[in-house]
Amino acid sequence: MSTTATAHHPAHAQPRGGHLTGTAPLLRTSLRHDGRLLAPWIAIATLLSASSVLVYPWVFPTQQSREGLAAAVGSNPALGLIFGPAYDLSTADGFNAWRALALGGFLSALGAIFAVIRATRAQEDSGQAELLASGVLGRGSRLLTGAAMALIGSLVLGVVAALVTVLCGGGWEATLLLGATFTATGWMFTGVAAVTAQLGADARTASSMAVGTLGVLFVLRGFAYSVDAPGWTSWVNPLSWMTETRPASGNTWWPLSLAVVLTLVLLAVAFTLQARRDFGQGTITPGPGPARGKDTTAWRLAVRLNRGPLVTWALASLMLGVVFGYLATSITDIFGADPAVQQILAAGATSPDELTSAFVVTILSLVGIIAAVPGVQIMLKVRSEETVDRVEPILATAVSRTRYYARHVLLALGASSLYVLVAGAVIGWLAGTADIGVGVGDVLRQAVATVPAVWTVVAVSVAVVGARPAVALVAWVGVLVSFLLTLLGPTFGLDDWVLGISPFWHVPDVSAADVDLTGLGWISLVTVGFLLVGFVGFRRRDLAR
Amino acid sequence: MSGSDPVIEVVGLTKSYGRFPALRGLDLQVERGQVHGFLGPNGAGKSTTIRVLLGLLKADGGTVRMLGQDPWSDVVALHRRLAYVPGDVSLWPGMTGGEAIDLLGSMRGGLDETRRTDLVERFELDPTKRGRQYSKGNRQKVAIVAALASDVELLILDEPTSGLDPLMEAVFQEVISEAGQRGATVLLSSHIMAEVETLADRLSIIREGRIVQTGTLKELRGDVRTTVRAVLERAPAIDELSSLHDVHLDGDRLTATVESTRIGEAMTLLTGYGLVSLTVEPPSLESLFLRLYEDEQASAPTGTTTSGETGTAP
Ligand SMILES: Nc1ncnc2c1ncn2[C@@H]1O[C@H](COP(=O)(O)OP(=O)(O)OP(=O)(O)O)[C@@H](O)[C@H]1O
Ligand SMILES: [Mg+2]
Repeated sequence: MSTTATAHHPAHAQPRGGHLTGTAPLLRTSLRHDGRLLAPWIAIATLLSASSVLVYPWVFPTQQSREGLAAAVGSNPALGLIFGPAYDLSTADGFNAWRALALGGFLSALGAIFAVIRATRAQEDSGQAELLASGVLGRGSRLLTGAAMALIGSLVLGVVAALVTVLCGGGWEATLLLGATFTATGWMFTGVAAVTAQLGADARTASSMAVGTLGVLFVLRGFAYSVDAPGWTSWVNPLSWMTETRPASGNTWWPLSLAVVLTLVLLAVAFTLQARRDFGQGTITPGPGPARGKDTTAWRLAVRLNRGPLVTWALASLMLGVVFGYLATSITDIFGADPAVQQILAAGATSPDELTSAFVVTILSLVGIIAAVPGVQIMLKVRSEETVDRVEPILATAVSRTRYYARHVLLALGASSLYVLVAGAVIGWLAGTADIGVGVGDVLRQAVATVPAVWTVVAVSVAVVGARPAVALVAWVGVLVSFLLTLLGPTFGLDDWVLGISPFWHVPDVSAADVDLTGLGWISLVTVGFLLVGFVGFRRRDLAR
Repeated sequence: MSGSDPVIEVVGLTKSYGRFPALRGLDLQVERGQVHGFLGPNGAGKSTTIRVLLGLLKADGGTVRMLGQDPWSDVVALHRRLAYVPGDVSLWPGMTGGEAIDLLGSMRGGLDETRRTDLVERFELDPTKRGRQYSKGNRQKVAIVAALASDVELLILDEPTSGLDPLMEAVFQEVISEAGQRGATVLLSSHIMAEVETLADRLSIIREGRIVQTGTLKELRGDVRTTVRAVLERAPAIDELSSLHDVHLDGDRLTATVESTRIGEAMTLLTGYGLVSLTVEPPSLESLFLRLYEDEQASAPTGTTTSGETGTAP
């Protein structure tokens, strides 16, 4: 067909076919079909930012309550690890900058990563891209479309979040700068994902690499600020550039230009790599493998399917352990350096030991929430295997549905627990080397007490994937709710019944004189309920084809 | 000729996807040792039926028995005795073909080593490639080898040869005949008529979720006439050819159809006019199939040419 078309319009025909031909129509179609997938990220980031300025005057109406907040934040370095430094908590904008900058950027980056991978690798894996590639489409068009989706999405995210926040009462400059950091973070990780999409051999590898990069940089930023690392550490971590803009406490715009430059460089690298690799392949091609297999049971299959992430998360939990553990060793210095904490200590409201054990409980809850992520991922893998028709041949053998599902559930629960214990052991070991009154045994015991809460969170995904796989994303609800309530709940003075929705709220402090385990009993009942729903659901429902 | 030892017995099976009824009262019976062809147009419900038989979908209504057991509740016991080849094989990206064969085989309860080796060789399969590196036909071969390497009573094959080259198609037919000789029962869904014609003892034809015809190839052919084309020395008068149907005379060229049982009679008749050349074409499955469509789609808007081999115009 196209030959006749060219024959008719020789004058208009592009002689060599542009590298980026067809991007515009493809981008329009992609925005129409996949654009809505960006909406949740935009909504959550906007909510995060706007709610800060809305809530601040209500929760912290007086100067005194604001000082109390500063003290609470200062006395819990684990918070700093996630949110970064609190420069100024005495205004709504400063509070918003502390609360939303790191997380908003994180969300924006995640949205961008998934948009890029979806439009590039995921399409290649599904064969959809082959249909497109055979049409009138330049080699670079799909990558450009994916990148453009993510760039536009990040821009919209920043603008919407900023405008809504201003409407809710945020100050113009600080809020716009905050929105700009969301956009800039999204842009940088558009670049990162565009590069990993060329390196990984499939969508899952590509997105794991990009999300892994994000996670490592995120933790390192928090760590660097929490332990007051030397200044240069801020300039080697792109996420720290965002923190250095200091919305509401300095309003420095120029670090954003670094982000733009980095984005352009990464995109250039991605396009260069893309021009070199074959369609549907990564830059690294695996060689021939074994002719005979050793994975012969449902259990070994489950392990095999999740091998890559299992190893990655094992390393991640070691790293988490080191970061948190190191933080624990310097806890006394951190308290000593914080005037607000000194005040409450001097007032006798609490003791250093109490603060330390509260800190241990919080970091292990954080570790638990993070360790639940691979658990949820393993359950979601069950679903993704199902939708690509790979569960069907397995269930056509003598493996029953219950057994197949049970092995994955076991792996999900087991892996998450193991990661909590590994991180706990490392934290305990490091804490034991310092003189802060906490030993390996204490931390490990606390880690064990945290495990049932991790199970509850993972069990939510077991129920969703088993019974309502059409809304598989709901599997993340447990992680999200626990994260928000555990981290933000206490500083907001929420009621106990709200905080109690998070299973981690029920984890007792095992270093206390009399340890109350009834909370763990209740959440374990809930866990069992979720598991039952999941198993019954998986046994009863039709298998997707 | 029924009821001796049914391996698959389906009565009044219904299954809907949401509000769309994919199966509307399907009856299917497959006897032990049979190779049963399962034919029907795209979207007729073949894969849906097979997925119900495998316990992957839950039937809405009707009864389904396989090897005397219920495919939904007796999954494990049942699946030890059967093997399945899907039409669209999706392999694990990082796993080699050899590993996939061993995985599926041992999950079924073990595979026959010598047969595995033999099949890998006959299908010229490279078991060291990884899932993503196989071509479509080779992916299909992995699934076929995995299914046939186990010693099972029942093979359920859903368009197993889609994507195989003619050489491999021949190997496949050989291998299935051998399975038949071992006494295995085979349910073979396929769009390749030659394959079904060679392999199947009995056929069931499904349309819009119902079986519209079932029987041996011979029975199904029974009411379709054989086409006769002849060049004659002397042109006969039309009314002298009363034992032929659909007679079309063009000078000395004759085209007509005749009931399969009366071919001898017709030959005698035509010899009387001096045969110069003669072709006798038995009804192919293809023509049978097309005719079945034609009957059912009489009211549908046409655009199809079924001016087929038989030239029937009933
Ligand atoms: N998951 C599904 N959801 C909704 N409808 C479906 C689903 N799967 C199949 N159908 C519909 O059910 C009908 C039967 O489908 P089925 O796959 O059984 O056909 P088939 O006979 O195997 O066709 P083919 O020869 O193309 O493989 C079709 O109309 C199809 O569109
Ligand atoms: Mg089908």
